[in-house]
Amino acid sequence: MNSFFKSVFTITVITVLAGMMLALSYSFTKDKIAYQERQEILSAFKSILPYHNNEPDKDYKMVNNQKVFIAKDNGTITGYAVNVINTQGYGGAISILTGTDSSGAVSGVAVIYHSETPGLGDKITNKSFLDLFKGFTVNDKIAVKKDGGTIDQFSGATISPRALAAGVKDSLTVIDSAIGK
Amino acid sequence: MIKNIIKNGLYSNNAIFKQMLGLCPTLAVTTSAVNALGMGLATTAVLTGSNLVISLTAKYIPKNIRIPAYIVIIACFVTIIDQMMKANFYSLHKVLGIFIPLIVVNCIVLGRAEAFASKNNPLYSLIDGLSIGIGFTISLFILGSIREFIGAGTFFGMPFMLSSYNPLLIAVMPPGAFLFLGFLFAGKQFIDSRIKGEK
Repeated sequence: MNSFFKSVFTITVITVLAGMMLALSYSFTKDKIAYQERQEILSAFKSILPYHNNEPDKDYKMVNNQKVFIAKDNGTITGYAVNVINTQGYGGAISILTGTDSSGAVSGVAVIYHSETPGLGDKITNKSFLDLFKGFTVNDKIAVKKDGGTIDQFSGATISPRALAAGVKDSLTVIDSAIGK
Repeated sequence: MIKNIIKNGLYSNNAIFKQMLGLCPTLAVTTSAVNALGMGLATTAVLTGSNLVISLTAKYIPKNIRIPAYIVIIACFVTIIDQMMKANFYSLHKVLGIFIPLIVVNCIVLGRAEAFASKNNPLYSLIDGLSIGIGFTISLFILGSIREFIGAGTFFGMPFMLSSYNPLLIAVMPPGAFLFLGFLFAGKQFIDSRIKGEK
């Protein structure tokens, strides 16, 4: 019995100490982590939206349960952005951030995260591929060539570009109804 | 003794090529040189820290609960490293993301705790953790560099081949990891047998 209590006591001390260490390290790093995550979002907005000087992640309205981020230059609306998660990727969900100008034509697309095959599907993050979406509006057919559209799928991967095209299309539908309001 | 520990960690008892431990992260993250290096260094940091703490505390931990106690200590180090990487090397953390928490169950770390740190003094354990970790890092780095070089034609993301080079994609895909690890194993066996033969 004595050794039983000794075991319980030892493991309790160890877990309490470990918990304290973790609390300490969390309190030291949490601000920096939050800052890094926000910087990443802001730089994504910078790369896909027309010029803006507000912070779109705080300036948004809800349309169909989707956040539509609004880019403003001194109060004038210059563009919109929507973040959608498309689950039709080859490796699972792809988080896509689509930006448009104030009329609803695509000004840029960014992939926030994905788990596509390295060397094949992950080419969807290449700038030359993402630029293919520029200028599309909600009335255009956005699809890969295999499906009768104009987006070039690259050799060995059709599913990833197809998921991206679907995600951009969905985003434009949301932005279009946001502009209409 | 110290010289022996270092030699064991780096070569003769190398985590991957001799103990054949930690093959899961080895196969998964070595798609590029920088991923391999990041994973190796993170593991080294955990290994050094856990080896030191475990050798200091081993005599107070009753034998029957030593494994859960070691795992708590290792998990604590891994979480701290995870948070520090996220705060300071955000883009690397994004790539290694899911593999960092898995260091907890990396057999190398628990293996060293059980086989070495719990039986040796803190100084030796620290050096053992460091040299096993560096041996692991070097092995990952070699495998990662080869796979990136052949599979993408780059080194640390910089183009290294003629632009006409058509990358052999299989090298960066999962089957490539097994193939190239197999070649490295064969290479090490060859070197070892040559050394033995000369004696």
